[in-house]
Amino acid sequence: MAEITTFSEACKGMDDCGICAFICPKDIFHPSGKMNEAGYIVPELRNEEDCIDCLNCMMYCPDFAIVAIKDKKIEEVRNG
Amino acid sequence: MDKSRVRTGDHFQIGNWACTEGAIAAGCNFAAGYPITPASEIANLLSSRLPQVGGTFLQTEDEISAVSAAIGASWAGCKVMTATSGPGVSLMLENIGFAVASETPLVIVNVQRFGPATGVPSVGLSADMVQAARGSHGDYQIIALAPESPQEMFSLTVRAFNLAEKYRVPVFLMADGFIGHMREQVKIPESDTIDIQNRKIAEPTETVLERQDFLSVDVAPMPVFGKGLKAHVTSSCHDQHGMRNLSDPQTMHNYVMTPIEKIKKGRDDIVEVSSEGLDDANIAIVSYGTVSRCARAAALLARQEGIKVGTVRLVTCWPLPDEEIRQIAEKVDAMIVLENNTGQMLPYIKAEAAHACEVSFLGPEILGQIHDPEYVLNKIKEIAQ
Amino acid sequence: MKPVVHPLKKYTRSHVKRTTTCPGCGIGIIAQATLRAIDELGLDMDGFAFVSGIGCSAWTPSPLFNADTLHTTHGRPIAFANGVKLANPDSNVMVISGDGDLSAIGGNHLIHAARRNLDLTVIMVNNAIYGMTGGQTAPTTPKGLRTITSPYGTMEHPFDISPMVASAGASYVARWTTYHVRQLTRSIKTGLQKKGFAFIEAVSQCPVQFGRVSKLGKAAAMMENYKVNSVNIRNTEGMSEEELEGKYIVGEFANIEKEELSQQWQTLKYNMAEAV
Repeated sequence: MAEITTFSEACKGMDDCGICAFICPKDIFHPSGKMNEAGYIVPELRNEEDCIDCLNCMMYCPDFAIVAIKDKKIEEVRNG
Repeated sequence: MDKSRVRTGDHFQIGNWACTEGAIAAGCNFAAGYPITPASEIANLLSSRLPQVGGTFLQTEDEISAVSAAIGASWAGCKVMTATSGPGVSLMLENIGFAVASETPLVIVNVQRFGPATGVPSVGLSADMVQAARGSHGDYQIIALAPESPQEMFSLTVRAFNLAEKYRVPVFLMADGFIGHMREQVKIPESDTIDIQNRKIAEPTETVLERQDFLSVDVAPMPVFGKGLKAHVTSSCHDQHGMRNLSDPQTMHNYVMTPIEKIKKGRDDIVEVSSEGLDDANIAIVSYGTVSRCARAAALLARQEGIKVGTVRLVTCWPLPDEEIRQIAEKVDAMIVLENNTGQMLPYIKAEAAHACEVSFLGPEILGQIHDPEYVLNKIKEIAQ
Repeated sequence: MKPVVHPLKKYTRSHVKRTTTCPGCGIGIIAQATLRAIDELGLDMDGFAFVSGIGCSAWTPSPLFNADTLHTTHGRPIAFANGVKLANPDSNVMVISGDGDLSAIGGNHLIHAARRNLDLTVIMVNNAIYGMTGGQTAPTTPKGLRTITSPYGTMEHPFDISPMVASAGASYVARWTTYHVRQLTRSIKTGLQKKGFAFIEAVSQCPVQFGRVSKLGKAAAMMENYKVNSVNIRNTEGMSEEELEGKYIVGEFANIEKEELSQQWQTLKYNMAEAV
């Protein structure tokens, strides 16, 4: 599983954006019920262990608010 | 093939040729243009001369694209020019404003023709004077020079490039169809006698915030592209780093005022007038461009009849030589403003002179035909009474 | 413990803290794809000049990208870019702007640039509406849609921009949507490496203006629509007009080898220098 970090101050919210939730194939991103300073509902991560290292969340977030770092072990296995 | 930048020697040539040679001598290495009478010869000649000196010429799909390409090339480090006539300037005005706001060195040659609209393409009429100063939207200043001969189409084009580089501003060369197509002697001097000015270039810093790229009355060094300067150039209101700012009132104020102050500060360097016979004159003829020949001829005729007439020619039309006009107005009894239009510079000249002397205007008897010196003499005699 | 930083942040200006786009807007996805393409190619940002026009999409490189950026007047980025590239042919000149900017007011510059085949890489963010000014109809707006300047329904047919640019003579033309981030990145890389006019149309969601009037919903719903209704151009053979109705045809529309203008200029200058 990738190491996922979210930057809540940059997030534009699960309600009007929510692209991370839409694009994650493993349903890891959910509305947290908490707001950042700008008033946007930020995501919380559930079942992170299901993460398959696709890095979609990082690539698709329009606000550069998610960083996903590939699991080195999985990368080694994939690269053979 | 003569690939030299400076074609030193005595030539008998049309003004448009001289203008092209002036640009090449000044170091022009990029020009873009679109065909338009009576300026086309400049583009024709640039297309063959520029590659000879390692430069590039682009014929664009329209004038808007021409001035845009020139500005883009200026930001990439080139000395740039575009030549057109009134209808072309009308199309270019939005981006001329961009050049002002972004402080881009640029030379625009307007070989003026008879308007409005399509008008008469091959007849000269100096009726784009206010357009040069006020045509684009917003409050701003530019520099405009008015040559009166093919010789000056060489020398003032060189001067235009130098002023553009020194002040980071678009400079208009206000020629017209008469001198563009007139054939006269053009002396091109030795290249080492021609003064060439180059823009100051910014020094690298970590970000744009550590240096001043815009909005200095002393002309900020230009953050030319391709040098790792990470320039931020925008047509929006911006601060001295080039970063957009649409909320701070002082920044908005400086965005307009500082480029204007920049030109005002340099006015003594920029403004040039050429006067004759003013020491003892009662009447002064004020003119610029082609009609100045007639002004001098009429003054000569008047002197022969015992009327003390002098002439002052505005070599720089914008910024207006206000101090110079005021000083002359305070010495003479009357000023006659000679223009080949319906009185474009007149209100501005009058504003500087009317408190001290009588100011009258004399356009050509028939628009499109240069004033006849006898016709001007009659006006002088009328005023002398 | 080193602080976690987005791998593409190094290509953005350190003093630009936030993106300026609406929640869910696709522009940020395209900004990432562009920077990722540059990163994967190992290119130096100092070798780039980014030119953009006016509109939301024109804010993609300016002020965000840490490079020489030229934010011009409406419709004119390609016109300015012509000069930037010809003046410095060794630079990578990219134009990133919107569909209104590049195909309406800037349409003439677009088709001539394609014809000239000057080595520019143009990314047109196509959200099929004028977003920044409040949702007016654009030359790319679908017929029938009610926008703020077509309240009784857009009467005009829209442009199909990518085939148009291909037929004007561009060396490389591709279209993807913000759903196709990997393909988009790949096409931007191909465009950057192509010596010639490269045009990448990036269909993007504008949830606030387009999403609202089309009732397609918010960002996620609009991207779901791209996912479901995209057809690769390779698979369109044999498909009828009705079948293609409402579909986004994605993929490569042109990929040819053709003489490029700045190289022709280098050759001319070289020959001139050699000539007596």
